Amino acid sequence: MTDQMRLCVDAGLCIGVGQCELLEPEIFRVDDDTGTSTVISAPILPSQRAEALVDQCPSGAIQIDSDVSPTQARPPDTG
Amino acid sequence: MASPATSPDIVSPAIYLEGIPHSQFSEIMAHPGLLWHPYQDGGFWVVSRHADTKTVSKQPKLFSSAVGHTNLWDLKADALEARRSIIDTDAPDHTRLRRLVSKAFTPRNINLWENVTREIACELLDDFQYAGGGDWVSMVAAPLPIRVILSVLGVPVSDADYLVELSNYLVEGTTDQPSLAADAFGNTTDLDLLPFGSPASHALFEYGEQLGAKRKSDPKDDVVTQLVMAEEDGNRLSAAEYRNLFHVLVFAGNETTRTAIAHGAMAFSEFPDQWKRLEADGEISAPAVEELLRWATPVLHMRRTATDDTELSGTSIARGDKVVMWYPAANRDPAVYDHPFDFDISRETNPHFSFGGGGPHFCLGAFLARMEIRILLEEMLNRKLALRQVGAADRVASNFIHGILSVEMEVK
Ligand code: HEM
Ligand code: SF4
Repeated sequence: MTDQMRLCVDAGLCIGVGQCELLEPEIFRVDDDTGTSTVISAPILPSQRAEALVDQCPSGAIQIDSDVSPTQARPPDTG
Repeated sequence: MASPATSPDIVSPAIYLEGIPHSQFSEIMAHPGLLWHPYQDGGFWVVSRHADTKTVSKQPKLFSSAVGHTNLWDLKADALEARRSIIDTDAPDHTRLRRLVSKAFTPRNINLWENVTREIACELLDDFQYAGGGDWVSMVAAPLPIRVILSVLGVPVSDADYLVELSNYLVEGTTDQPSLAADAFGNTTDLDLLPFGSPASHALFEYGEQLGAKRKSDPKDDVVTQLVMAEEDGNRLSAAEYRNLFHVLVFAGNETTRTAIAHGAMAFSEFPDQWKRLEADGEISAPAVEELLRWATPVLHMRRTATDDTELSGTSIARGDKVVMWYPAANRDPAVYDHPFDFDISRETNPHFSFGGGGPHFCLGAFLARMEIRILLEEMLNRKLALRQVGAADRVASNFIHGILSVEMEVK
């Protein structure tokens, strides 16, 4: 599973630009009340797309969640 | 330490009457490390490369927006406090302010304004076409963004002309020759305490306060209402913060986009083959909009101030040094762009920094500006409205905004 990465949002850093939602609308949605990004489905992506997202999130809020091993990274609905 | 090598002049406003000093920027970029640019009784480090711009932008703790100012000159403490806006604030205040407005400007919520934008664009283009051409800036480039941002903010359309006038005076405040008397618009505030040192800021504050008061008693579904409600809450937004935020939204939302639209028309006139490609494609692709933005680079620089001793591209930077990112240089960095001086609407990767180099201050209005430009180009294509520039553009003598005062375009 080296080509998959699990992402997370550091809510303290997020400034609600919405780049994440634009690129990966299945996974991220900017909450209209809090103005920050929320994860709406398992934030697992092929590494290239994950890295592009990390690079393009202006505030640095989207991060590779390195603590999670591939087995834990399985989407909840399949496990 | 030996004194650092000195940068060629890139700040004298008069230089910009001839356009961006690209040869100076190329010279600066070719020099290893960073060059020091003398300015007033100090100076600043010139950040020109794409990679360095990103490094500075993405480290807001090390390169502060709140210490000093984000413009070249320093402000006295009282002036800095009075003028402080979202732009020259660091976390956590910045994060709080930004979140109060961010939701209105996400791609999803911005798309809701597409129809309004299209209506405005159609009206302006119809008039322009009917007149057979004219000054592209006053007829299209200026009114479009101001009318759109005023709709988003919830400002009555009937006040658009007044706010355009104020905004023009603000740009003038960044040049050598502001024309307004200190007491214009009934101003009694010390000019140092006003954004751009301009009495027009006083007028814009007053306007914002009056509109805010109206929305407090008669709330609407708009950004001004959201802001005054946050102000009511007490600790979420102070009265001074509201005033400065309103000012920034009006100014940043229109001067920049107008500049992009002006340069866009000039670029398609100068490179007619690129317009033909658009016509052949029959649609406006994202790469075309991004190339227009790269080409225009409406904002020329932003400054940060080092909060600690550090190093960038092998050059030592001391705590308290000013570090200034020059976006037109990064946007033509040969390490990132093939043929950087070609206007090419088919560039597949185009990581331009016209909206800043990333980091928390990344332009709030980026998706709004992109949408406006796309809609305008779409409607030009629909009308088969190809433009040809007549004569030279009248440029703004500013080292901060790549502004065009007027440019004559005829309909081909
Ligand atoms: C083509 C049009 C535009 C350009 C080129 C542009 C450019 C920029 C740049 C370079 C910055 C500073 C980024 C940094 O310091 O890293 C910025 C910030 C900002 N822009 Fe824009 N802008 C444009 C349109 C707009 C619009 C339409 C709005 C309307 C709301 C807007 C609102 C702002 C605000 C509020 C900030 C400050 C954000 C912060 O400090 O958190 N801009 N813009
Ligand atoms: S791109 Fe980054 S800053 Fe923007 S909403 Fe997503 S997480 Fe937040």
